[in-house]
Amino acid sequence: MTGMRWIQAGLAATGGVLGVLAYEVQMDNLPNTTSLRSWAGVIAAWSFLLAGLIAWRRRPRNRLGPLMVLTCFALLARQFRYSHDELAFTAFFLFGEVCWVLVAHVTLAYPFGRVTDRLEKAFLWVAYTVALAFPLAILLVYDGSRRLRYVDPFPRDSLLLVSAHGDVVDGFQFAFGVVAYGVLASVFVVLVVRKLVKATPRGRRVLLPILVAAVVAAAWSMLNGTLTFASARPPSVTYDLFWWQIIALTALPLALLWGLLRARLARVHVGELVVHLESASVDSLRDELARALEDPTLEVGLWIPDRGIWVDAAGSEVDVPEDGADRAVTLIEHEGEPLAVLVHDPTLREEPKLVEAVAAAARLALVNARLHAEVRSQLETVQESRARIAAAADEERRRIERDLHDGAQQRLVALALELRSAQRQLADSGDPDMRHLLASTADELQVAVEELRDLAQGIHPGILTQGGLAYALEALAARAPLPVAVSATPERFSPEVEATAYFVACEALTNVVKHAGASSAAIGARRDDGTLVVEVSDDGDGGAGLDGGSGLRGLTDRVEAVGGLLVVESSPDGTLVRGVIPCAS
Amino acid sequence: MRVVIAEDSVLLREGLARVLRDGDFEVVAQAANADELMKAVRRFKPDVAIVDVRMPPTQTDEGARAAVEIRTEQPQVAVLLLSQVIEATHALALVSDSAEGFGYLLKDRVLEIDDFLDAVRRVGRGGTAIDPEVISQLLGRKRADGPLDELTPREREVLELMAQGLSNRGICERLFVSPKTVETHVNAIFLKLGLMPAQDEHRRVLAVLAYLRA
Repeated sequence: MTGMRWIQAGLAATGGVLGVLAYEVQMDNLPNTTSLRSWAGVIAAWSFLLAGLIAWRRRPRNRLGPLMVLTCFALLARQFRYSHDELAFTAFFLFGEVCWVLVAHVTLAYPFGRVTDRLEKAFLWVAYTVALAFPLAILLVYDGSRRLRYVDPFPRDSLLLVSAHGDVVDGFQFAFGVVAYGVLASVFVVLVVRKLVKATPRGRRVLLPILVAAVVAAAWSMLNGTLTFASARPPSVTYDLFWWQIIALTALPLALLWGLLRARLARVHVGELVVHLESASVDSLRDELARALEDPTLEVGLWIPDRGIWVDAAGSEVDVPEDGADRAVTLIEHEGEPLAVLVHDPTLREEPKLVEAVAAAARLALVNARLHAEVRSQLETVQESRARIAAAADEERRRIERDLHDGAQQRLVALALELRSAQRQLADSGDPDMRHLLASTADELQVAVEELRDLAQGIHPGILTQGGLAYALEALAARAPLPVAVSATPERFSPEVEATAYFVACEALTNVVKHAGASSAAIGARRDDGTLVVEVSDDGDGGAGLDGGSGLRGLTDRVEAVGGLLVVESSPDGTLVRGVIPCAS
Repeated sequence: MRVVIAEDSVLLREGLARVLRDGDFEVVAQAANADELMKAVRRFKPDVAIVDVRMPPTQTDEGARAAVEIRTEQPQVAVLLLSQVIEATHALALVSDSAEGFGYLLKDRVLEIDDFLDAVRRVGRGGTAIDPEVISQLLGRKRADGPLDELTPREREVLELMAQGLSNRGICERLFVSPKTVETHVNAIFLKLGLMPAQDEHRRVLAVLAYLRA
């Protein structure tokens, strides 16, 4: 056995002996007590000893265990003030009330073993001071001539007596009852409720056992209230409250122990997790982990080493907070490299074994999820850049068309106009050769303007900018070498949407002319539920397909780049090409 | 005849202004965008506003929209739109149901100075000027065999000029034929196409355009 084990064994033995002695003291000195009542107080103290020792063994670094053992000793020691020995009376009366503050201390220190909240700390300071100061003050003026509350029977002798004042003793006792059992117990109940309210959902579940403590305190203050203010003791009320308080006091350490050790119970979840993960999809992985850890706020981040970012199962980047007071972050590694992080409730820090077990069980599933996320994330990136490239190309075409029309073409027209004016002014006089030169130059310029217009038209149809999709489709149909019926919504859409729809129609119609052997075709464009649907159908011999090496493949790319969809339905009776393009309404 | 020019290219605007002045028009204002145009039209109440379809800030169809505004707000002001590109259906949509005092020409038509000045004058007098490109697009449409195929080449020429908004006299001058001949052609066309003869010139334009559009 290690040194610590010896100490723990020694404490257990001492606690046992002390309990028996405390029972003896009560039986010898309290005339009204029964054997059952005397044992009850001892057993309540022993429950602290038992729970404290187990907690100490299981959670050696948590101070809650030792604190509970200490509480047991304080509870037992309190009974020795009933002794008629004046030293025992003086010593244990002086320190006897401290045990209640220890019970409060244990409660507030749960589950981490430390009280960190400033308000709770202040409360404990005040409580310890009150629990020591009042008994001391009473002992200074108590001459044993009257009954001390709760310490039947008198007389006792205080070794600390300085000057006897019976009335002052009564006053102090009354004040102590009000301050300690009334005010402080109520504040304690408030602090417990506050702790529960402030806690995270997971923390709240862990904190539930301390509700028992609130019951203890409430029973205590009610019992005291009854005793302090009632002129005659109502026996039944006192009797009931005594037992409630004993039951709650016995239950408290056991409840705290259960809460502290529930990680052991949670291991059962890990077993379930392993089974569930067999069939779980990548997307439900987080939910399974959250259930196993009993933390609905759990977030899972998967490390994408190539991009140096954390992503969720869908491949979208997520922010991983710093490990801190609000959120705890646990890193899961795989083959020495970061694999994933669990961003979870800080209360889980107390159960590193559970988190470890869950992480181990889920490692394979996390590796799998990361692969998925990596692919999805890449896909997203590619999709985004595709849309950007398409938009940039569109914009570039529009810009060039605009530059040609508004720049070069305007200038050429203006220049040709100058020449024409000059030509007219020279009409009647001047050199005929010169007139001829001017005329032919102006003619050349005019041809250049026409060529430029055709060029611009091929880059981006000006009518699409000027008149919208419907007119552009009409124009397209008018130029086709076969009859094409057009039915298009006159609405205007964003330039990207109009351009994409136009190119779908344009490319599909080119295909009809080249391959389909059709005698007529139809173009349709309509808005449908947040999308622009553009359709080109023909009465040709079918055979068009996305894999036929036709221009339709490129068209699919073009439509998908803006997040749309291209469908080709081909039958011997004809072909239908349908582009569905998302458009904000 | 008093004219306002709206065109964002300074070079072309000045060139147009000179050509118009040489053609005995009075250029009362020049505008570089739709706002300036509307101000000038309200202030000077010109006979004709010559408007570029594309103007700043978006370079899409500012001019066309201004034209619609002028025609509802100042119906006595004729509008001649100049466009970089011509598409028949768009042009017809702008003519809508009133061809009176309205023109729609491809920008380079200004280089045929005489025809251009003639178009401005025609529009200014409440007539119509539709770009030949529009008519040839309409005629070029694939359609089942019909009365149009029965027209002689000469009648077809007359039909095109009629659709552009030219009067009988204008057609005579363009084709170097006598008024009597033109009248014969016109009657023949109306007969063959099954249209009611309309003496009113802009009604005649609308009727012919409607026929071609159908």
